[in-house]
This record gives sequence, C-alpha cells and structure tokens, in this order.
Amino acid sequence: MEGFGGTTLRIDLATGNIRKVATDPDLARNWLGARGWVSKILYEEVPRDADPLGPDNRFVVATGVLTGSFCPVGSKVGFGCISPATNGHADSSMGGHFGPELKYAGYDLIVFEGIAPEPSYLYIDDDTVELRPAGDYWGMGSLDLEKRMKDDLGEDFQIATIGPAGENGIVFSCITHDFGRQAGRCGVGAVMGSKKLKAIAVRGTKGLKCHDVKALGNFTYDIIQRTKTHPNMAPWQKYGTAFFVGWSNERGCFPTRNFQQTYFEDWKGIDGESLVEDCLVSDKACFGCWINCGKYAKAKVPGKPEKYVEGPEYETIALVGGSCAFKDINEVAYANHILDNLGMDTMSGGSTVAFAMECYQRGIITKDDLEGHSLEWGNIDDFEHVVDMIVYRRGIGDALAHGTKGAAERIGQDTIHFASQAKGMEFSGYDTRWYPAQLLSYCTCDIGAHHSKSWAITADIELGRDTVEGKAPVVIYLQHLRPLFDTWSCCRLFWGEIDVTPEEHVDAINMLTGWDLTLEECFKISERIWNQNRCHYIERNGGPGRKFDIAPGRHLHEPIPDGPAAGKIVGPENFEKMLDDYYYNRGWDSEGNPTREILEELGIPHAADNLKKVGFLGKPIDGGIPKVRGQKLKPKAM
Amino acid sequence: MVIFLRSGGKLRDKLKPDVDEYTKRVEVEGDKSLREILGEVGVPDSLVAFAFANGKLERLDYRPSDGDVITLQPPVSGG
Repeated sequence: MEGFGGTTLRIDLATGNIRKVATDPDLARNWLGARGWVSKILYEEVPRDADPLGPDNRFVVATGVLTGSFCPVGSKVGFGCISPATNGHADSSMGGHFGPELKYAGYDLIVFEGIAPEPSYLYIDDDTVELRPAGDYWGMGSLDLEKRMKDDLGEDFQIATIGPAGENGIVFSCITHDFGRQAGRCGVGAVMGSKKLKAIAVRGTKGLKCHDVKALGNFTYDIIQRTKTHPNMAPWQKYGTAFFVGWSNERGCFPTRNFQQTYFEDWKGIDGESLVEDCLVSDKACFGCWINCGKYAKAKVPGKPEKYVEGPEYETIALVGGSCAFKDINEVAYANHILDNLGMDTMSGGSTVAFAMECYQRGIITKDDLEGHSLEWGNIDDFEHVVDMIVYRRGIGDALAHGTKGAAERIGQDTIHFASQAKGMEFSGYDTRWYPAQLLSYCTCDIGAHHSKSWAITADIELGRDTVEGKAPVVIYLQHLRPLFDTWSCCRLFWGEIDVTPEEHVDAINMLTGWDLTLEECFKISERIWNQNRCHYIERNGGPGRKFDIAPGRHLHEPIPDGPAAGKIVGPENFEKMLDDYYYNRGWDSEGNPTREILEELGIPHAADNLKKVGFLGKPIDGGIPKVRGQKLKPKAM
Repeated sequence: MVIFLRSGGKLRDKLKPDVDEYTKRVEVEGDKSLREILGEVGVPDSLVAFAFANGKLERLDYRPSDGDVITLQPPVSGG
C-alpha cells in the first residue's frame, strides 16, 4: 500500500509472541489511521468488563495515513487504550519524530495485549523486532531514560518512554518522546506501565512509498512558499502557544487557583513575553515542520537545580501556572520539567495539584495529610513535594493518583464540586462559565474534557457568550473536523493557524496513497468514530448516555467572582437545553443514546445491536434524524 | 500617519487586504490606540488575541507609530 509501512505488529506481552501481519487495506481506507484504528480495535477486541490496567486492555500505537509525509506535516502518532481515568475509549496524539520513524521501519500499527512477566521494552530496527528486558530502566524518569537509551542504542533511535508515574498506575500518566513531546491525556502512560512496558525504541531506514512523489513534492513546496509569509508565522515562531496567556486572561477564561477565578493578576509573569525574555534557549520543531512552535527553555529557580524543558506550552502555563498560582515563568518551567520526567500529564497533573491546593486552602486536607508539609498556592516546594507523594502513592497521594474525580470520591466532603473534570478527565486550560459551547464541548467529549476534539471559544465569542442558541451544531461540526487531524495523524496547527485547508490535507493524502478520498468521506468516517466511541462508552459504563454528560458543580452553579467575566455562569437550565439540542443534532435520543438510524447510516449497525443488548439503544426520533449533523460556524457579524 | 495591518484566517475577511493577500494599508488621523483603529476598519477586537508589532507582542491599547506593520493574531485552534 502506498503511503503506509505495510506491516502491523501484534504483540502478546505475556508470552513474548510477536506476529507480523500485513496492514489491512480496508482498515487503512475506511478508518484512516491513529484515532480511527484505535476506535475500531478497542471496540472489537476489548471485553466490556476489562480492567483498564489489566491484561485484557489493548495498548495501541497507531500511525495515521499522513504520518511520515512532509505535507502538511505528518509528525504525529496516536496511542490508544481504554482509559483508567474515564473507563472509555482513549486516544492521545504525540508529535516529534517517533511516528514517522515507525512508519519508515515498515510498521503502521502495534497492538499490545497481556502483561509482560518482567519490565520490558520493545526494540525495533527495521525488520528486527524484539522484546528486551528493561529491569535496569525501570524506575527511571522519562527524560533521563531517553538520554540513557540513546547512549545505549544510538542517537538515531526514536524513543518513547514512561516515567515512574506510568509504572505506578497514576491515571494521568503520559508517554514522553524527544525530551518533551507527549501523548499527554487519558492516562495512556498508566496503561503502558500496567503492561510492564517501559519504552519503545525504533529506527527506520526504509522510507515510504508514495503514489505520486513529484506531485506531492510540488504541492508541499507551494504550501511552504505560501505559508512562509503568512502573518501568523512570526508570532507563532517567536512564542509558540504561550502567547494565548494574555488573551485568555482578558477574555476571563484563564484557570486561576483551581478555576476559583478566571483572571490571574500575575499573568504577565508567566506569559509568552516572559518565556522568551526569561527562559528561552532555542526553538524546537517536530518532524518536517516549518512553524517551529516548540520552545526549549531553561528554568532557573533560586535554590533549585537548573532544568531544561520543552515548554512551557499554554496548557501547562494555564493548569500549572495560573491554576496553582505561580507568578514566575521559571517556576512553571521547573514544575513542567518535574512532571515531564516523572511521566505525568502537566494538564491533569497541574489540575490535580491545584485541586489539592484548594482542599488545603479549605482545611479539608492538612499538614498531617502532607507528611508535615504545607500546600500553599504558588509554592514550588509544596508543589514538588505533593507531586512526589502522588507518584509514589504515599498517603493522600494515593487518592490524588486517581485524578480530581477519583480523589474527590475518596476525600468526600463535597470536594467533587470543585473537581474540574468531565467523565474523569480534567478540563483543558479554559474556564467555561462564560463559554457555553466550550462547556458543551468538554462535557460531551468522547475522551473526557479535552479541547483538542472541539475548541469552541471563538465560536462562543462570535455567536455571543451569553447565549446557548446555535452552539450545539457548531460543537458537533468541530467534533468531526478537529479529530480528523488525530486520525490523519498530522499537526492541526497548519489548518488552525496558517490556513492550510482540510481540502488540501485530503489532496495530499490522495497524492501519497493514490486514493480518491474526499473531505466529505473523511467527515463521515470521523462521525462514525465518534458514534462508535459513544456506543463503546455506554456498553462499558451503562447508560443512558446523558447520565455521563454532566458538568462539574463549580462550572454549572458558581458564578465567576471577579475579573473580566465577573458574574458569568452558564447555569443548569441552559446546559440541559444545549444537551437537548446536541443530542437531537447528533441523531441520538433525548437520553443521549445513539439511535439505530444514525448507526446504520454510519455503517456500524452491529453497534446498534450491541446497544440494544445492554438496553440503551436510542429510541427512534420522530421525523427521523437530521440529514446533516453539525454546522460550520456562521457568525452573525460575517 | 500610515500603518499596515496584516492577518490571516477569518480576520482577513474582515480586514479586506488591499496591499497583498494579507495586508491592509490604513491611514490614521491623530493619536489612536490599536483598539480604536480596529473599530474604525471594522475588525472585531474580541477576536484579536494579540498584535505583533515590530517583533513584539502588544495589547490592543498599543499606540502605533508611522510605518508600523502590525500582525493581528486571532486564536483559531486553541493550541
């Protein structure tokens, strides 16, 4: 198959058996890769009562159709499993160089099952595929280990690792690569760790067969020339994502002190300018990229060793910086390094520490729970200590290791009210009390609260932040479009920031593969994935689906106390109204259960049969399902 | 004085570039903030994440100088 490595690896970690099978062309064409492949494999292979940290879960490493292509930057690879945080489908996309290297070695997909009898790592050097002992590596930090393995194996190996957080089953553990790129969300690191898999090292020298390399080369060249002068290139190249910090504060959506507030009075100390002036060492780019949004920084905190880190990105600045109230970008960068090396998602990690800080603020946890330490806002020593307790599951750290929802369930005392999460995964770095479409996005997201699948902040601004009218169809459209980049497995910044259109991405796919794919077909595949994941979630967790699409208490009932968005709150009535609108526009019934009609239209009738077996097939909709699900934003002003 | 505003994406539609595909020439009378100038040319300031002028992040209270080339950055993808 042109555009693909051609081989899928099936690895039983319990027996050490490694099978090479030809990558299924139907899987490639009809599910496109990464998120799509993860969805199908999990749905078909994982028993509905499988423990996410048990042997029957699958751990999937999946490239996408665009991985390894320069146009428009197929730098990504997807990791997937049943998430220990949400107990549902999880897919998490990682940039860097790992995905292309895997495909250049000839492999599109790796599916792990079982649990290795001892700590192991997977070694791939073109045709050589081996499980090797990792006893010497177990316990090492992710960043430390990558350096060690490059020394052991060679600089030209691309390495993906977990840290102690993944080894110890922290539900927000991540996978790290290239000294700072992560598959951060959903706890994919914990599942990798549960299988006693410490790392994957790959070297690939075979290249990639392309259907029309001349056309693709010219196409790529033209896009590079066009986008080199795009107005957004210069600021992105200078600041990366950190430039959002000021805007987010001024719009009243910046997480501050565990989302107690939405404007951080000290934001100027942790914004893009501060990063560039105080910390920046160099730019950093993923495979094939000409934006170079990555920033490599040196954290200098008095009394602490200097640390190098890729970042901090906006999300880390929001959820470690603002949410834990750090005033100095160096402290945020230092905290970023700590979490990266331990193998903890900075987003959920920052949020979980912020949640604990609020518990301490309220006297719900005390120094007695913290081994004699305090847990004050903006205190880097306190932050570092509680993170250590979490990673090694000491005392209250064991509760916090379950994320904010799991911790709140264990601590009680109504702390669930300020656990800012949906389905067990923590919100991204945007407060939603004046952003109803974003609240809907978080609460209906198939992997738990994450903006990658739908970022609707500008939709809220353009349609009006004080209304919920018209928000649901726009969210659905975004939930079909944005995950396409996680399915194609390429960076979405080229679309999002420098105007490389989705149609151009499809053109590139066709030049690479020789297919006649259309964008319309891609949207249908994306909708199919979304609905399959919904069915899978209901089958695993019971239903009705509406039971799980709930907003956390603070975000539904507690008006913003101060700042530019003072007094704002979506409120339960508006939220339920949006949900009603969302379900109708999805072709689901009013209980949030997919109907047979939508599942048959999307080509997954067996999912309807499965939902019926568990008693949650959606009731038919009077008048039928909408012909078009989702609507591109049509702002009033334009 | 004359300044140049540049933007891509949706903001470009509002900007109506007239110098090249991204750039609009604007004549400014008096001493005005960027926010005021955006209002006059019909660009909603709520959609401008920041301005990038002379290699530096600026907020919308920035007061341009003659000849400034200012990029208007909309937040589109959320990072």
